[in-house]
Amino acid sequence: MNTPQLSSLPFLAAICSLLLLASVALSGTSRRVGVPVILPFLGLGLLASSTSLGVVLRQSYHVSFVLGTLSLVLILFDGGLNTPLSMARSFALPSIVLATVGVLGTTALFALCARLFGFSWPQAFLLGAVVSPTDAAVVFPVLRGSGIQPQKRVASILELESCLNDPVAASLTPAFTLSLAGEAPLAAQSFAHMALSLGVGGVFGLGLGWLGRVMAPRIRPAAGGLYPLMTLGFALLAFGLPELVGGSGFLAVYLAGLIMGNSEMPYRAGILRVHDSLAWLGQVVMYLVLGLLITPSHLLKVAPQGIALGILLSAFARPGSVMLCLLPFRYPLRELVYLAVVGLRGALPIILATYPLLWHVEDARLIFDTVFFVVLVNTFVPGSMVLWLTRQLGIESDEPPPPPALLEVVSTRVLTGAKIISFSLEASAAACGAPISELPFPPDSAVILLIRDNEVIAPKGATVLAPGDHVYVLCKPADQPFIQLLLGRPEA
Amino acid sequence: MNITEILAPDMILPDIRANSKNGVLEELAAPICAKYRQIKLNELVEVLVQRERLGSTAIGDGIAIPHGKIGGIPRIVGVFGRSLKGVDFESLDGKPTHLFFLLVAPEESTSLHLKALARVSRLLKSATFREQLMKATDSAELYRLLKEEDARY
Repeated sequence: MNTPQLSSLPFLAAICSLLLLASVALSGTSRRVGVPVILPFLGLGLLASSTSLGVVLRQSYHVSFVLGTLSLVLILFDGGLNTPLSMARSFALPSIVLATVGVLGTTALFALCARLFGFSWPQAFLLGAVVSPTDAAVVFPVLRGSGIQPQKRVASILELESCLNDPVAASLTPAFTLSLAGEAPLAAQSFAHMALSLGVGGVFGLGLGWLGRVMAPRIRPAAGGLYPLMTLGFALLAFGLPELVGGSGFLAVYLAGLIMGNSEMPYRAGILRVHDSLAWLGQVVMYLVLGLLITPSHLLKVAPQGIALGILLSAFARPGSVMLCLLPFRYPLRELVYLAVVGLRGALPIILATYPLLWHVEDARLIFDTVFFVVLVNTFVPGSMVLWLTRQLGIESDEPPPPPALLEVVSTRVLTGAKIISFSLEASAAACGAPISELPFPPDSAVILLIRDNEVIAPKGATVLAPGDHVYVLCKPADQPFIQLLLGRPEA
Repeated sequence: MNITEILAPDMILPDIRANSKNGVLEELAAPICAKYRQIKLNELVEVLVQRERLGSTAIGDGIAIPHGKIGGIPRIVGVFGRSLKGVDFESLDGKPTHLFFLLVAPEESTSLHLKALARVSRLLKSATFREQLMKATDSAELYRLLKEEDARY
């Protein structure tokens, strides 16, 4: 490989730094415009694809595959950490149905479309599996930026589904790839294998999550900054160990995150912050890699059919599959429509599309370029519609928007006793209009901070609470219901 | 503040029939509108529904304390209601709600309203007392039980 510039580390650092800085800077603009934050990353990757970085990546798909896999591990672990167990329990059934039957349904319906465009059946099914997973992380920043949130049920199902269908699609794709490569016949056997791999992944995920939960308070690192490294270690372990024995590492790493995130970890707030950043890094890397892998000159040929297939996925395959899966749950039609449309393609199809390339399947390049367009259309179209759609279908949540400031205690010890809750005060709350001294708070509770407009105020006894105030209360968990009786619902 | 200052013997519903949140609110509000003719039932229910939108007043353990302020009421008025089969009131602990204490206050009485909320929530804190309330046979017994428990503090 004759790419001497790249062997020079400063050059590589400079390119990566430019890509990273530009991605971060552009994300603000894209949010204002209402386009999914990750789209500019893809554009940047595309721009850089003719540089030597792109050339090298295209010469060895293995590097892209490894980068993508590690990125997804970071994203899924973070997804698990931030999933409240109560939400996982309440919406487990519809999400699991969507993630399993739904993925198979989308795959089959999309394969039907791809067959019409001249792909052979095995290729068509492979394409379907590659583009079947969804990604909620793509869409929710757009909504958050505009201050509206979808209702709890649809938001929860979309988030849970998007984490759970990644492992399923990731097990399905190799099965189709191998059959296409002539290595193994596609049979009921491979579906049994997929089920086994998910089962093994599930057991490992729960086990290692539990281990992490028990170990985390016992390992006493020398500095706070080491705690996130410990959780990162568990994340990689939860991915690697089940993969060694043929289990689904993606499912395991998500479940491990779910279990660890719902426990009392020391330095919890710090850990969550770091994993949030790592998940963003994962998103940036995946989309940059997708862009870098593209040869722009090849794209024009594939564009018409790629775009057409992208539209068919968002208008036919995904809606059809969602409707069939969720019919037994008797949700209102507008929620079904929303779930069907807002199932965005995220970064995973990008890694999955390198699979056929790695196995040197016939027409792998064509499959990859097609996936590029399908992902592009299915990020861009639903992404720019989601704001309008949320309002139009009446899916807007009346839950309070996230608080203007986050107040939390970061400690390397597990602290017990009181916790901090914040409220956005509305006129119909009983406490509204009362001076703080007259709030009949339990002995261990207090208003500790007030934010009025953009001003931080020290609450005194004589301070009168007004509508629109953000009130931060320190209280014991047992007293929380009573505090909510006076102040309303806590902010997210 | 004593509970007898808020709750009159004729403001007790020993057997709430409604199965829905809104139905329960209407049933609880009706005695107030019957006593204070100037208050319209739909207006009072709307006030209560507005408060429920901020998060359910069913604070768990089978208790709900719906409340709100409305013009035209001379003082704080309470209504106690009991649903033997329990109602889904979107409670914080997810369990059905059996005991309801509605509090309606005049627009200007913010601090008394808060005191009444605290008083009622403490009154219903004891699990054995709640069991007694569930077993009581009629509204006279319910009133007596509430009065006695209140006198203990």
